[in-house]
Amino acid sequence: MADRRARRRPGLRSSGRHTAQAAAQTGSNPGNDSNSRRRTLGQRRLRVFPDPDNDTPRVMLKRVIQTQPQVSPLKPRISNHEGTEEASPELPSKRVSSMGELQLPDLAAEDTFVTVFHLNKKRKKVSISEFERAADKRLFQNQAQSTLDNTTLFRSLRMSVGSLMAPDTVEKRGLLRRPRNRKAIDMEAFEGGVEQNMLKSNAQNYLVDLQSASGIRTTMMTSDAEIVLNNTELFVQPQLNERSQNKLSALGPQLSHSKTPAQRSKISDAAQDTAGPEGLVSGVGTDEGRTQRHSENSGLDQEHIDRMAPVSPGTPANQREDQQDGSQQSNPVEQVSVHEEEVAGSVCRLSSSLSSRSSSKYLGSPVTLNYSSMSLREVVSQIIEDLEVSDSEEEMINTVNGVEQEKLFREAAEHGASAGYSEHLEKELAEEAELQITAAQDSRDKTDTAPSAGEGLAEGSDGPHVSPGAEHETAKGVGAGSLDRHSDALSSSEKSGMNPLEEDDEQDVLEDQAIMLDLDDPEEEPAEDESEHPESQEVSMKTPAFVRAAAHNPLLSAPQDEKPAAPKSLVQLLKPKQVPGRSGTSQRKPREPQIARSLIKEVFSYFVKMPVTREAFKIVEKCSEKYFKQLSSDLEAYTSHAGRKTVEMADVEMLMRRQGLVTDKMPLNVLIERHLPLEYRKLLIPVAVSGNKVIP
Amino acid sequence: MAAAGDGERLLLTQRLKAAVHYTVGCLCQEVEEDKDIGFSKQSIAAISEITFRQCETFARDLEMFARHAKRSTINTEDVKLLARRSSSLLKYITQKSDELASSNLEQKEKKKKKSSAAKGERTPGEKEAAVTENEDSNMS
Repeated sequence: MADRRARRRPGLRSSGRHTAQAAAQTGSNPGNDSNSRRRTLGQRRLRVFPDPDNDTPRVMLKRVIQTQPQVSPLKPRISNHEGTEEASPELPSKRVSSMGELQLPDLAAEDTFVTVFHLNKKRKKVSISEFERAADKRLFQNQAQSTLDNTTLFRSLRMSVGSLMAPDTVEKRGLLRRPRNRKAIDMEAFEGGVEQNMLKSNAQNYLVDLQSASGIRTTMMTSDAEIVLNNTELFVQPQLNERSQNKLSALGPQLSHSKTPAQRSKISDAAQDTAGPEGLVSGVGTDEGRTQRHSENSGLDQEHIDRMAPVSPGTPANQREDQQDGSQQSNPVEQVSVHEEEVAGSVCRLSSSLSSRSSSKYLGSPVTLNYSSMSLREVVSQIIEDLEVSDSEEEMINTVNGVEQEKLFREAAEHGASAGYSEHLEKELAEEAELQITAAQDSRDKTDTAPSAGEGLAEGSDGPHVSPGAEHETAKGVGAGSLDRHSDALSSSEKSGMNPLEEDDEQDVLEDQAIMLDLDDPEEEPAEDESEHPESQEVSMKTPAFVRAAAHNPLLSAPQDEKPAAPKSLVQLLKPKQVPGRSGTSQRKPREPQIARSLIKEVFSYFVKMPVTREAFKIVEKCSEKYFKQLSSDLEAYTSHAGRKTVEMADVEMLMRRQGLVTDKMPLNVLIERHLPLEYRKLLIPVAVSGNKVIP
Repeated sequence: MAAAGDGERLLLTQRLKAAVHYTVGCLCQEVEEDKDIGFSKQSIAAISEITFRQCETFARDLEMFARHAKRSTINTEDVKLLARRSSSLLKYITQKSDELASSNLEQKEKKKKKSSAAKGERTPGEKEAAVTENEDSNMS
């Protein structure tokens, strides 16, 4: 034990196990001055061991161990701690001194179990941080349990224990900190935070959140989609403004990314926020914003990526905030305007109307700022025409979809609107268009809450022939868009092209929702869709989560069309956001899950060992996205080539062989052994263990 | 025996390479006349070497694809899978394969009227032709 302790202590030079030695060791560990300092507390130490002040924690611990019947768990821990402590010698000393202080968090004590440890009463000489205090509390408890006979020993033990405790403390710290931080922020951004939460919660919670978040919002949401369609004056939402301000700062970046979906909502927000300037801006900006958005969206994968990430938090937040935040409106407005320009005006309007609708619903005001009396139908028709043409068309479709959805929603389509919707879209559009739509839908779906789902259903009714794939798409999109949560039948429809894998997911999701339409369609068509749209499949593959979520939401919401207006409006709000986003960003962001940009940055920077510019990162991100898309498409081709629907290891191996990673000289197993951690390796390569067992 | 086999193999390889080189040279000559540009010997040799190696890779991949599909015969599907990367090539190959399939069917029907044996012979021949076409397209 002493050895362990000695090991623990970095400064441990002597490996004596005896107390005497310990004493000697203490003297021989001048290096642990810090410890000794800490030891000053060590009144406890004095009791058992001489020279408490100069004793190193290790020494003290040794003494404790030797003299006291140590709890076995401690010992092993101690060794662990020692190991960890060695890493950070100072930490243990610190701990000793201030039992409460758990430096261990840094050590990441492996032992999480906190045994009854006699912690020094003096735990913290100085509670440096809150978590320390918390740790101290815990320590106190432990201390109370045991008498600190050998404070030093215990302390040393505690140190080891501290490491154990550290994990707790760490957790605590984390817990403590978070709320603390929030408190500080909540003061101002409370509303914003509420809004964000509401957005995040999706349709499920939107009702609740709305109410809780702001009465204004709920009231605003009462408006129907129709209202949304109409150009609505900016709602003056004082609260919104406040929130928007708060959110603005937070959402700023998000908004830019998720603007497309948010834009719509923003537009609506802008409309709602009649705050004079805001409202006006929004009105104007919507058009501008849309175009901007469109350009932005279409332009950058980043946006998608950004959007993806912030989408869920952002879009919901944006949606909410946009609606409420005038400041945000400006951003979305711009985006919206931009978007509009790019996309057929109808599309933009549609999207904006959709977004506004959702937002308006959210806010309760028909935000279609720019949709000057454009009926959804008109817009949709226009959009449909343009669909074939370009991405914008796709976006339009999305918007159209959104619009259609909205319309359908009202009509209470039979399908998960997304399914019919997507089907409809698919028919109209080429594969690509479909993909995009699905993407948009996904995004939309995600953002849209249940109401959108209902809409999707409505659309489904429109497009009875809509391939189930569409449903899948939507479902898939939803799944992918798990970010936002449920709601988007559209997304599921988008996902129609999803791979069989996704199909399963969709099916599951759909089933869960118990929406027959969705279930039937996606099941039937997933196969079709997949073959038809390998691309979409890829997309869908990427966004299985979204799709599922979307499928869930829309399905659920579909039947609940009539359900509370708030959810509807919320969904609509979300949808509009998505719609605009769809045209550009929403397509990408909604459903396609993207690899975290931070991850790419980190990995790339690590390997390149040089500073990298932002532009370079963008390119790298695009490249990796393309690469993974191609990869998944290859995998899918291989799988279908073998007449299967599930990707197997043989397919992956073939892919690697094609890539040149696996050759005749380098079999797969060698690669596995070389690069994978043991856990994964165990799964892949049969391992024989005692007892005639072979794993896996 | 092994050595002889290797020697034979080597000889065969050389002959094949020579054949490829000759074909590449002819093609380059045509391109020269077309575009009014010159081809150096080294470039032709490089092209032929590349082509040969790529053919090896193709063959290996094709065999892998066939085995992946649990077949022992290389199919047009395998070839299409191989050419999937290049969209234009894939389109071309698909076209050709469709034509071949349709002509095969026609021939089959004719054969059916006459005799089934004749049909069987024709099909593999067509398939080979398709493969050759593919290779040509690949090379070009």
